Amino acid sequence: MSEMVMNSLPVDYATETSGGFSFENATRNPMIMASKGAEYLPKLTKKTGTTICGMVYKGGVVLGADTRATSDTEVAEKNCEKIHYLAPNIYCCGAGTAADTEMITQMMASQLELLRMNTHSQSRVITACTLLKRRLFGYQGHISAALVLGGVDNINGPAVYNIAPHGSTAKLNYSTMGSGSLAAMSIFESDWKEDMSEEEAVQLVKRAIGAGIFNDLGSGSNCDICILRTDGTKDYRRNDVKPNEVAPLRALVNKSSLLSMVPGLTPTIGNPLIQPHPARVSLADVDVVMETVES
Amino acid sequence: MSQKNREGEVLTGTTILALPFEGGVVVCADSRTSTGTYVANRVSDKLVQLSDYIYCCRSGSAADTQALTDYVHYYLSQWSLDTGRIPTVKTAAHLMRRLIYQNKDQLQAGVIVAGWDPVHGGSVYTITLGGSCLELPFATGGSGSIFIAGLLDAEFSNGMDMAEARNLAKKACSHAMCRDGSSGGVIRTVVISADGVDRDYTPGNDLPFGPVAVW
Amino acid sequence: MASSGSGYDLSASTFSPDGRIFQVEYATKAVENAGTVVGIKCSNGVVLGCAKPIHHKMVVATSGSYKRIHTCDTHIGVASTGFLPDSRVLVQRTTEEAADWLEQYGGKIPPHVLADRLGSYVHYFTLHGALRPFGAAAVIAGHDPDTKECSLHLLEPNGAPYRFYGVATGKGKQAAKTELEKLNLHKTPIAADEAVKQILRILHLLHQESKDSKPIEVEVSWICEASGWKHKGVPKDVLKTSEDWAKEQLEEEEEDDDDDEEMEEES
Repeated sequence: MSEMVMNSLPVDYATETSGGFSFENATRNPMIMASKGAEYLPKLTKKTGTTICGMVYKGGVVLGADTRATSDTEVAEKNCEKIHYLAPNIYCCGAGTAADTEMITQMMASQLELLRMNTHSQSRVITACTLLKRRLFGYQGHISAALVLGGVDNINGPAVYNIAPHGSTAKLNYSTMGSGSLAAMSIFESDWKEDMSEEEAVQLVKRAIGAGIFNDLGSGSNCDICILRTDGTKDYRRNDVKPNEVAPLRALVNKSSLLSMVPGLTPTIGNPLIQPHPARVSLADVDVVMETVES
Repeated sequence: MSQKNREGEVLTGTTILALPFEGGVVVCADSRTSTGTYVANRVSDKLVQLSDYIYCCRSGSAADTQALTDYVHYYLSQWSLDTGRIPTVKTAAHLMRRLIYQNKDQLQAGVIVAGWDPVHGGSVYTITLGGSCLELPFATGGSGSIFIAGLLDAEFSNGMDMAEARNLAKKACSHAMCRDGSSGGVIRTVVISADGVDRDYTPGNDLPFGPVAVW
Repeated sequence: MASSGSGYDLSASTFSPDGRIFQVEYATKAVENAGTVVGIKCSNGVVLGCAKPIHHKMVVATSGSYKRIHTCDTHIGVASTGFLPDSRVLVQRTTEEAADWLEQYGGKIPPHVLADRLGSYVHYFTLHGALRPFGAAAVIAGHDPDTKECSLHLLEPNGAPYRFYGVATGKGKQAAKTELEKLNLHKTPIAADEAVKQILRILHLLHQESKDSKPIEVEVSWICEASGWKHKGVPKDVLKTSEDWAKEQLEEEEEDDDDDEEMEEES
């Protein structure tokens, strides 16, 4: 992590290759935006217009997330993972800039693991929450990560925390984040009850994420679920619901005959330059292998 | 302050107040936290414990005030370890003032520090956005405070007992919540005296609002 | 001294084989050769006193040029003895600590906290080979506005701060301690004006006993209701009457002694 290293040499950004956050343009970009307009700025970040949520039930917590990542109005990734690992008993849903949520959860995961090795004890959810809020507050909102943190520990039992990008937190029974948070929240506000069973809880979370997937443009594709129980077991269900399966739809679409045309079909003047293959191989039959070039 | 709200920042558009009474002080707050026009949290807790007998009512940026109270909590524990005593409200307010004043360019925080200590009894301090610290007979803060300034001027008196003070705090808070769009939810109160602290809340559908006969 | 030449006394960072740090002991010696400081914690305040030998008759013997008692905050008084420049550093540090605390926490520093902090500072100088321990001791008198209590602390070159009912340090330490013990301060605390008299008596007594031809000047300060719970010099008139009382007392005691001797001779 480069930002934590006290470097006596001036930082050479061209040769700086280690990871971490870069805020080189944090002041430049808003200035360009103000004077020339947003179109002069490169669109680099992948904002996950997202629906994520978490809730407490009788025997633990359930976290849920959609799997769409967008870049502006384009769907950049149809099946990404938004429920991140922090500790064996703690997971965290992330909304905001995909790179930021990914990086900050990875950093927290390693920090928590080191802490577990030092203390020989289980990570606590409150610890994860405090570490995250400190980091986010330190970066004054420049790390755009809106998180729903959920987990179970032996001291405080199950807990869900809502963490906003500027570093404010709230301990809640149910929480939603991302562009689909309003849709998801409407489900929780109408049907969340204390001491729900696991089936009821998972069903409610699926409905909340479904509300985001179907009613929010920024959210879509599938629904991931993560259950963390007080007995220490967990259940990470990747793509638990797939309401937008595209393979069958694709199969229905007729393939273009251009892809299966017979060689030599095009009339030529004189001798054709390429001799028809004796076995009549079509382009659709050729496997394209990516080659890696090493310099 | 010319500082604009940062995009997507969670703010506590708020009603907070602290009223002292014979032998203690009552602090009170609504429970609404908003991001723009969206209620990010309808059951938030804006009353934070700084030490055994000192509380802080937060208004402004949620992130900033949470970070500030974390720091003051830490400094007060340190103070207690150094001196072997219960911190005074004055010390807590002074620490808060210093942090806010020194970082006022980067913070949006208006807080009330109130509590009880063996030296001065119940006392109330307000710390403004600019970082000045004032000891007051009673204090209000947040966007909802302007709606109840007159009510409290009329009804606050120095010789109130605990029940009177808590009832007045709830009444004032509910009136602010009903007139201020950024305040709402439930009313949370904490009574602090030599006997300790006593937390209480009033649900949003049971507010002491309007003509007395109604509630 | 047995330690010199052994090589274990060259640095404060070296223990001798029998577990002593000679540099710190030498620093304590420096204190034992300097003017006496006496402090008494009273029923209604705290009093400090010190005797300053006027080592040359051309020295301007006012408190201005040769101050031994300092006010480090309104509620804190420090009487120091030992190597004078060292004690001034100590006093300076006390003032800074008190001011820092006020800036940090918005209240007066409790005297025992000040003594602890100063102790840490002094102790630091006994840890490093590159530093020289303080050749000075400080008696700290303080009033705590929060608890309305007064207290008296002694800080020695090793950095350990102790709290006392009555304390003495400097050249006449042993004799002064004997006199203080006679007052039974831990059981029957005396009032501040009485303490001023006793301190003067002790200081003059020590001066007589030392048979030192050099004259002394006495500085006395207090924190009590009369001073508004602030550290102030004892007013001149009070000082005068107390000094008269002390000298009278000493003369009486001397006569009694002479009488005793005569009686002994007779019998």
